[in-house]
Amino acid sequence: MKVFVIDQARCNGCFACQIACKDEHCGNDWPGYQRPQPETGHFWCRVAQTTHGQIPKVTLEYQPLLCNHCDDPACAAAAPDVVNKRPDGLVSIDLKAARGCRELVDACPYGAIYYNEELELPQKCDGCAHLVDAGEIPHCVDMCVPEALRFGEEEDFAAELAHAKTLPSKGGAKPRVYYLNAPGLFIAGDVYDAVRDEVLVGATVSLTCPDGRILSTVTDDFGDFWFRRLEAGAYRLAIEAAGYQILTDVDVLLERSLNVGSFALAALS
Amino acid sequence: MLRSVLASEERSGVTERPGFGRHPVPDGLAGGAIVAKKGFGADRSCYDNIDWSGFGVGSNVATVDVRDGKLLRIRRLDYGAEYSEEELRPWTMRRGEKVFKEPRKSCIPPFSIAYQKHAFSHNRVPYPLKRIDWDPQGERNPQTRGISRYERISWDEATEMIAAELRRQYELYGPGSILLQQDGHGETKIVHPCHGAMVKLCELMGGATIQARQPDSWEGWYWGAKHVWGMEPLGQGRTANLVHDITQNSKMLLYWGCDNETTTWGWGGQLASLISFWWTDCGITSVYISPDLNYSAAVHADKWIPVYPNTDLALQLAIAHVWLTEDLYDREYVETHTVGFDWLVSEVTGGIDGIEKTPKWAEERCGVPARIIKALARKWHRDATSTCHCNGGSYIRSCYAHEPARMEVVLLAMQGLGKPGRNAMKFIEWNIYESPAFNPTPRDEAIFTGFGGYNAALLEASERFIPKTLIPQAIMCTEPVDWHGHVICMMPREDQFEHFQFPRPGDPHIHMIWSDAPCWTTCWNGGNEHIRALRHPNLEFVLYQHPWFENDMLFGDIILPVASRFEVEDCGIDNQSGCFNTILHSPQCVQPLGEARSDWEAVQAVAEKLGLLEEYTGGRDVEESIRLTFEHSGAAAYLSYEEFKEKGYFSAPHVEDWEEDHAGFYDFYVDPERFPLETPTGKIEIYSVALAQAFPDDEERRPYPHYISCTERFHEYREDPRREKYPFLLESNHPRWRVHANFDDNAWLREIETCKVKGPDGYNYEPVWIHPLDAARLDVKNGDVVRLVNDRGWTLGGVYVTERIMPEVVYQDHGARLDPIEPGVSDRGGANNLIAPSETTSKNAAGEVTSGYLVNVEKVDVFELARQYPEAFARSFHADEGVDIDNWIIGRREGV
Repeated sequence: MKVFVIDQARCNGCFACQIACKDEHCGNDWPGYQRPQPETGHFWCRVAQTTHGQIPKVTLEYQPLLCNHCDDPACAAAAPDVVNKRPDGLVSIDLKAARGCRELVDACPYGAIYYNEELELPQKCDGCAHLVDAGEIPHCVDMCVPEALRFGEEEDFAAELAHAKTLPSKGGAKPRVYYLNAPGLFIAGDVYDAVRDEVLVGATVSLTCPDGRILSTVTDDFGDFWFRRLEAGAYRLAIEAAGYQILTDVDVLLERSLNVGSFALAALS
Repeated sequence: MLRSVLASEERSGVTERPGFGRHPVPDGLAGGAIVAKKGFGADRSCYDNIDWSGFGVGSNVATVDVRDGKLLRIRRLDYGAEYSEEELRPWTMRRGEKVFKEPRKSCIPPFSIAYQKHAFSHNRVPYPLKRIDWDPQGERNPQTRGISRYERISWDEATEMIAAELRRQYELYGPGSILLQQDGHGETKIVHPCHGAMVKLCELMGGATIQARQPDSWEGWYWGAKHVWGMEPLGQGRTANLVHDITQNSKMLLYWGCDNETTTWGWGGQLASLISFWWTDCGITSVYISPDLNYSAAVHADKWIPVYPNTDLALQLAIAHVWLTEDLYDREYVETHTVGFDWLVSEVTGGIDGIEKTPKWAEERCGVPARIIKALARKWHRDATSTCHCNGGSYIRSCYAHEPARMEVVLLAMQGLGKPGRNAMKFIEWNIYESPAFNPTPRDEAIFTGFGGYNAALLEASERFIPKTLIPQAIMCTEPVDWHGHVICMMPREDQFEHFQFPRPGDPHIHMIWSDAPCWTTCWNGGNEHIRALRHPNLEFVLYQHPWFENDMLFGDIILPVASRFEVEDCGIDNQSGCFNTILHSPQCVQPLGEARSDWEAVQAVAEKLGLLEEYTGGRDVEESIRLTFEHSGAAAYLSYEEFKEKGYFSAPHVEDWEEDHAGFYDFYVDPERFPLETPTGKIEIYSVALAQAFPDDEERRPYPHYISCTERFHEYREDPRREKYPFLLESNHPRWRVHANFDDNAWLREIETCKVKGPDGYNYEPVWIHPLDAARLDVKNGDVVRLVNDRGWTLGGVYVTERIMPEVVYQDHGARLDPIEPGVSDRGGANNLIAPSETTSKNAAGEVTSGYLVNVEKVDVFELARQYPEAFARSFHADEGVDIDNWIIGRREGV
């Protein structure tokens, strides 16, 4: 079975995949596979971007999104004669049967299907099946310089897929585009001595997670601490440094990534 | 071979409207047998270097698939298609168990894939145009430039009028009345260069005044650092083998105003991105110092230190303060490798202003907390640290940019510049001037040159010239305008001491412009002033030749349509990507659009009218140009011309022993007597005797780095009283989704979130980044439209509220397409260069200042503006591409 594997830690946000999809499909007809994609407005491959945190603790998350080539596609359930789950795992739309089938757009819980008004056709990523059948790889994958996007046989990726996530399965669709290193949310901040006006290096910062687990880190050479790949929830911070009063019970309600700010520790007299 | 000239004459008649995307064309394309392996579905595949360096040498080698006379797709070049691993000799970097292998396919940026949308956009000039109220036999109406519309004329009529006007200029004024704007970035081609084809023709007629382009993206290095460490001709550090050195030895990298995920895309590609990923893999800490969380920091930063635009100097002086007071610098190195260190000590501890440059003092100016400055200074001393640069932005092209540049050299010296892991890395323009000293990637066995068959003028000193930064003043001057230096970016240090003026005694003023680079208004220092110059009565004739109707061209009298790279046969060189240096033959992919001809062919058509065609071409045709290029490129040592044409490209190997190459300033570090710098003393000159002698009265650029902000020249600093009226600093770097002013109308790029912001009127505005705190104060939200205004005019932008910019700073890319509201005053497109200062870098440094200046940000009601300026706001626009060329061309909308 063919799969897409997308490593978010290797995505540099260049959008080459989004543009490559247009390059392959806009104005180009692939008989038996795809009719031309409209010049603009369709995103069979779309890079979503999210800004995390607050100045100066800010990161960007890029996530290329395409058809999830689900095991039990909701689109196929809605229109079984129109959608084809190929033996190699790719999900494609039958060009003839799909004509006028606008409802297919809403059938996809991931918003991956677009309607071509001019051709009266629902359209989406088919994994560049015309290329795959010719022994090549999808154009978006081919154009990804940092190789964040990869495509191939599922068993060849087995070791990595053990750590991969898909988008949440909606309505039992079982999406099959795999993401590695999804950044999740972060809690970050910094620790300093306000009297001496110095950062505090090596302070121990503990984070009590919603499930009771305690994560621990030490502040770096700038007095910064970072807890990454967190899930939303209620957290509690404590900061400890030799010669300083301990700071405890800092409650953090994490809904989006947070720079929880600069913590001034008071020196023990 | 006048192939396209003849072909397009025969094709004249009603032109097919350039449609979205790909247009059908007949067969009969130039370039001989096609050799590239055909991509799936293609009936023709051609090699091409899709980049915008524009000087005959570039990067971004690709394969273009063509089907039915239309572009089918763009692919990366597979270097191994014709050559084995043994022949290519790819490099491998190692650190411990980790391995980084040279990519085997070209690392082209998204621009190269999307470029087809611009190449065939609505804005292509379909046929020659003449401004309707410009009459060379009668009224020329310079005052209506920018307002009047255009009518279609034939190539024959256009070239006849141009030839007559050229003759008239030389007869009436003698040589020098014609200003040639013949430089800049654009499609990198060799046979049909996008810039400078007209220079030779004017030389044949007696000469012209040349626009001399200063080192616009690295001003501070050129005007400042060069006096400290030499480093001819760039003024930027020696970067040889630094990828290896940093991999092995560095622990911290300071990306100072550096966006190597953006600036490299025009000429360089994406290897810079892979290198940053690699260094993170190696465990090296990446610190970004910049007012914005730029696109590289967004991906690679371990630490972002926001700094107010053009206040890096205060931060640097405070770092030196920490090192001096805590004795954290290399005293021995300073003694043996530098001269004038006392001047620095004096400046840091008091200087002429008597102010000690403490971290607390710096905090108030640059916005970086004193404790962070101290932490950074100590870490920099303790850990082997290299600085990283990529040109552009307020660090290096704001007011007095020479100060942060040379102060950085001083800081590097204080920690032992050239020691393993302690150098200055640069991510762009590798192998520039064919010099391996400026290539941080493993050394190439051959660095190709593209000038053997180059059909345009090279960048070189001219007899009559005007610095590009002084063009508007020179056009409108009543008294001579003066400056120092030839200002061309490859001149030696001493050249900066030579005095020049325009006009020279006995020379005429400017009465005509011939330009193939119509983006002065959108790329240079004070575009509104340039618009006033373009409407000045002195200017009798303004001629542009360019593929797209944009920017300065709205002020032209005659416009010639030029073909894009896909429409001509050419050849190309990639020396700058960091992967295998490559020379390639690029056959014609598709037929020229409408009546377009290449720049070279357009000038040939004028030359023919003047009876100078043979002298102009020297009998050279396309085939001969490619053959000459190949023979003089350096590739002939490897293969024959016939073999080159048969294979379609040649990629040179790297040297075998590249790991042995001494990195950066290592030799100077080891033995400064044996390996001196190019300064007068051979040392790092913290105090420059040469500067002191040349400019004894210059208080702006003294002989040594010193703190400077508000002066008579510049009122662009946070501590200036003018800030009460204009409370924001505008940061403007090289654009993310354009190459300067190139391809602002690209439909595929404009769909990206940070490329354009859709306003309430449906117009896509150039984004203005505003911090949430400022957005609340200004009562604006995403999608609102704001006016960026100062006493030089105003432009508009679409609000993008983000944590990626500091409070009290706003960010807008430069180079958005001009859409004038009141020409010379206001603009809808977001072309912020219109309101950049006209003043140059400093009194005796003729560089540009195009980032880090004061503006106010005001929320506007676009519907109210539309009532106020009905004509400008009634212009039709394509949501996908922007303002419509049809607004200016009579009859075009109707298909005439």
